Amino acid sequence: MRRYFEKMDDLGRELRAGEIKRTDDNVAALKEVEKEVDAAVERVKTTGFSTEKINERGQMTVWQRIEYLVEPGTWCPLHTLYNPLDNPEDTTNVIDGIGKIGGKWAVVIGFDNKVFAGAWMPGQPDNILRVTHVSRRLNLPLVWLVNCSGAKLPDQEKFYANRRGAGTPFYRHAELEQLGIPILAGIYGTNPAGGGYQGISPTILFAHKNCNIAVGGAGIVSGMAPKGHFDVETAKGLIDKAKEFKDEPPGTVKTHYDETGFFRYVFDEETEVLDALKEYMSEMPAYHPRFFRVAEPKPPRYPVDDLYRVVPLEPKRVYDFEQVLARLVDDSEHTEFRPGYGPEVYTGLCKIDGFLVGVIGNRQGYLGKGYPEYADYPGIGGKLYRQGLIKMNEFVTLCGRDRLPIVWIQDTSGIDVGEAAEKAELLGLGQGLIYSIQQTDVPMLCLVLRKASAAAHYLMGGPPANRHNAFTLGTAASEVYVMHGETAAVATYVRRLIKEDAAGRPLEPVVEQMNELAQQYHDHSRPVYCARYGMLDEVVKMSELRNYLVAFAGAVYQNPTSICPQNHMVLPRLIKG
Amino acid sequence: MDQDMLAPLAGHVLSIKCAVGDTVEEDAEVVVIEALKMETPVFAPCDGTVKEIRVKEGDHVEEDDVLLVLGT
Repeated sequence: MRRYFEKMDDLGRELRAGEIKRTDDNVAALKEVEKEVDAAVERVKTTGFSTEKINERGQMTVWQRIEYLVEPGTWCPLHTLYNPLDNPEDTTNVIDGIGKIGGKWAVVIGFDNKVFAGAWMPGQPDNILRVTHVSRRLNLPLVWLVNCSGAKLPDQEKFYANRRGAGTPFYRHAELEQLGIPILAGIYGTNPAGGGYQGISPTILFAHKNCNIAVGGAGIVSGMAPKGHFDVETAKGLIDKAKEFKDEPPGTVKTHYDETGFFRYVFDEETEVLDALKEYMSEMPAYHPRFFRVAEPKPPRYPVDDLYRVVPLEPKRVYDFEQVLARLVDDSEHTEFRPGYGPEVYTGLCKIDGFLVGVIGNRQGYLGKGYPEYADYPGIGGKLYRQGLIKMNEFVTLCGRDRLPIVWIQDTSGIDVGEAAEKAELLGLGQGLIYSIQQTDVPMLCLVLRKASAAAHYLMGGPPANRHNAFTLGTAASEVYVMHGETAAVATYVRRLIKEDAAGRPLEPVVEQMNELAQQYHDHSRPVYCARYGMLDEVVKMSELRNYLVAFAGAVYQNPTSICPQNHMVLPRLIKG
Repeated sequence: MDQDMLAPLAGHVLSIKCAVGDTVEEDAEVVVIEALKMETPVFAPCDGTVKEIRVKEGDHVEEDDVLLVLGT
């Protein structure tokens, strides 16, 4: 199959001097947004006790543990800004991402031991569920850095119970194990109650000498006798009792290494725990990359930093999608599926780090005379029309047939609307695409390059409408909303305007409300906001997007549960004809 | 040699970023057309001097209408 993949069609071109000159402002504007994202990330990294304070206690921070554990240059953090229930600490108190350990890709997650000694906090269960989903979808080992003091008790009602509550990760762990996905846990510190189950639910437990895991902590063992109220006398009794309590907390290594054997290993040094995790990860089942590579890995021919010039921050500005793709894929090569048909959408095969992937993206700009063919108005990229929807349905289905992972690159304002669009069956074709995705069991990555809007966000690989999306990335240019704020303001207030006008009342109060709504839409669609509330799994610098694609492709092809021999693939031959 | 710069699509002229007599470089943005809620910039195809501007801001233009004439 060398003739199909070793040299594919060239994609993109170098930027011209004039393009470079006129895009300096765009570079500055995008980097300014990236600075805002950096500042938000820094708040997460520095929340809680300082690194020095934790180190003085003889402990490493979760950040130091991850840095020691993961191979340099491979760490792709996820959910860094995720904080859907607005914890004042700016975190759900788990840190996670994908990285290579011992030469193998893994999903890594650890409790932030700088904050309430790694407690359960509001929003954390959903964060963990996202992480276990990544592990399941990519069939990657999950590596836990457990250091969890149990529930942050004053907030327990926000996360303890419920269908997606703090207990849910435990059955997710069981589910991963039943699927054959191992969970390795390095365990540090005191892990009572919830922390104890976080410790016991993984597959193999690597303990630090000072750690414990337990059904309940020393505080509960010594003081659980509800009397209906507290008074000073009771308080004094509690003080005396607590002072007398000399026993070690339950579940130390004496119990769970020497007695129960729950801990497979115990290590004196924190780094030795991490070394053991590395050693185990190096032995994880994985194909050698050459098994699946279709060509030698090559960087794109054009610098990824050009994306700061190619992608306009201003959402109304059109650009050349092929110029974007040329900066993300190996050697800036591709094989396009059905060029000319459904021109608002790009579909094609590309290589990332030598691995074959399907790519689907929104083209931008005017689509030419006579398109869409069913209407008497012109079509513009970003919107979806009949042919584009049919083409995506076909392409997704064929990628599933050939077991090719799919990268979606969204910059969409929605599906065409109006009576002509209804007659052209766009409603059915849109839901048909969701059906196609749902029956196409391959991992997918969604990159919200700029706009994600209306139902088009759902049906172009967006996480709300499919279970194959491993994660969704955003950029400094990303904005996510059901529709543009001004469109929403018109939809909300136009009837009111008519009534006020007919009654001879001033329009200014309604206009003010319209502006407020539009501003609210703007504020609630910024990258940091979208990452905080989980619409994006991470906001990634333009210059780092390729790293995530490499991690995704490497992870997908590390140990797939289903494969298609290259010599049996249909899609490349369909394209060639 | 004169070169006509044509409207790539029908729409409204949102802005004109040059004046008659200006020298422009290849790929400089000279006109922006707004259509279908999107802004489509029109770039100079080569270095030249703006000899004539045939539209003004707010004008409706059809696809392939001449926007301006560039002397090269």
